[in-house]
Amino acid sequence: MRRAVLVLLVIRSLLVATSAFALDRPTYLGPKPPPSPRRIVTLAPSLTETVIALGAGDRLVGVSRFDDLPEVAKLARVGGFVDPSVEAVISLKPQLVLVQPSPGNRQPVEKMAELGAPVLALPMHNIAEVLRSMREIGAALGLSDRAERLVQELERTRQSVRARARAQKPLRVLFVYGFEPLVVAGPGSFADELLKDAGAINAADKADSAYSVYSAENAVRSRADVVINAAEDDAAAEKFSRLAGLKQARWVKLPSKDLLHPGPGLHKGLEEIFALLYPGAGTAPVAR
Amino acid sequence: MTPEDAFIARPLRFGLARTAALVGALAAICLLALALSARLGEQSISLRAALADPTSTDAAILWSLRLPRAILAVIVGAALGTSGCALQALTRNPLADPFVLGVSGGAALGATVAIAAGLGTASQLAATPIHEALGRISAPSLFAFAGSLGATALVFAGARSGGQSSPYAALLTGVIFNAFASAAITCIKALVMPDKLGEILYWLAGTLGYERGSTLAAAALLQVVAIGVMWLCSGSLNLLTLGDDDAASLGVHVARTRLVLLLGASLSVAGAVALTGLIGFVGLIVPHVLRLWLGPDQRLLIPCSALGGAAFLTSSDLVARLLFSLFHTELPVGVITAIVGGPLFLVLLRRRELQRVEGL
Repeated sequence: MRRAVLVLLVIRSLLVATSAFALDRPTYLGPKPPPSPRRIVTLAPSLTETVIALGAGDRLVGVSRFDDLPEVAKLARVGGFVDPSVEAVISLKPQLVLVQPSPGNRQPVEKMAELGAPVLALPMHNIAEVLRSMREIGAALGLSDRAERLVQELERTRQSVRARARAQKPLRVLFVYGFEPLVVAGPGSFADELLKDAGAINAADKADSAYSVYSAENAVRSRADVVINAAEDDAAAEKFSRLAGLKQARWVKLPSKDLLHPGPGLHKGLEEIFALLYPGAGTAPVAR
Repeated sequence: MTPEDAFIARPLRFGLARTAALVGALAAICLLALALSARLGEQSISLRAALADPTSTDAAILWSLRLPRAILAVIVGAALGTSGCALQALTRNPLADPFVLGVSGGAALGATVAIAAGLGTASQLAATPIHEALGRISAPSLFAFAGSLGATALVFAGARSGGQSSPYAALLTGVIFNAFASAAITCIKALVMPDKLGEILYWLAGTLGYERGSTLAAAALLQVVAIGVMWLCSGSLNLLTLGDDDAASLGVHVARTRLVLLLGASLSVAGAVALTGLIGFVGLIVPHVLRLWLGPDQRLLIPCSALGGAAFLTSSDLVARLLFSLFHTELPVGVITAIVGGPLFLVLLRRRELQRVEGL
């Protein structure tokens, strides 16, 4: 009898998953982190930026190989977004590992948690998720007040931009990530949300996904007033800018990458996109 | 004693003692690679701390990260080496590798479909109670395994439909299926989101990850059976390399032996690619290097290819991990096998040719 119970327990322990790895909401994996973790590892630049924006940059001990901020230039690199090195993370003895969950990094991230690194997985694909993640990171670091202030500040910027946008004529905007193939910001993309806040109409109304491959014919018929070029390939942009439907549109080059990745820099991205669309409208002073 | 037995019982090229010494030496190299792979890595660890304190980070790195991964490399390397060796002999084609029979195409297509559909683990496919057990198996692995078995079945059906099965029919069906699969993958790649595209490319490049002990045990069992079957058939495989008619006249059941060998090789490769994706070059080069060195006797080549493949892949993975400090990421191990293995093979080939010219 006792043996049967033991066997059942062993089978149960084998079956019960260590923790759920969710792609759509903040999730903790592995052991519980201390209330105010001092040793933090981040696996994506937007998470690094959030920690720095919360004033806890000095607690970072490791970052991803895509991080290029001067604040973290001297820190250990622990691999990329889908290919973090479990060994490098574990040997930093982190008290908290911040990751963006994806099916591609599931295995290494679960391994870290299993080996005793407290993990907080935070999806950051759109504005709502960014704000939620900022609050969640604030709570994890014991900096909830600061996180709340940061979120309020972002919300104020959004409201201010929206108010200024209402005074302008709505423009049809085509936001282009790449030309060969033509990839545009569709519904659900971060750029699409920023365009809406800035009072613009996304001209890629036939796009069916966030980063949609678009036909040149659809682009020509999109009646875009402005084309925002976020692609690297200038030669291809030149070809497209001569097409009949796109020739009369105002072509602008993306000044910075704040518009491209969701994170605490989104208020800068929003101001940038507004200034790009309505150069005459002037920029209201932002709190920071 | 049948003629087949007479041929199979033919004395080994090196004599029993030297053969045993050779296999022993290769096994020792393999063990050394395993030990080095566990000892060295991106981080320097203290063996004393790892052995004294099982809760230390050093112990976690040694026992939970490096050793399982090195064992995975041994299992997969052995599978690729052996099946490459068997398929080169079976198809009488020096360019054959473990992936010629459509297995790679099937596996890649399966994994690509799983990633494109956004399946993380196999648990998303079934309801409880097997739900939780499946939660530990990644969906791309499961789909890759299913895909490679499906491709194998297709290749067999194609090869046998003409009545008499021939190695060329199987080979051609495999090559054509691989072409079809790569077109289908290109099609899926064009349709999916950029973030999924990254995952697909990463999987296709072939990487050694961190598998659970139970997965490793199951994979090892599969390979012991598959490699064992190929080794048992290696005497008949010697005869098959003479041509079907000669082999048949010497008492080999040609069709049956070929079927068993193809099945063994396919199963072995399917088990390997499901865990690691497509790691190239090991199965092509290891049998060739060993043949240059040991001659064409399959009875010796099959076990030596298993050990050689294991040692080669384990050391390549060690190199890939050690290069982390340089690139801040691990290179796919397939890159190392080709970059290190290619030139090495050309040097060996050239030396061999020179020896032959001088010997004349």
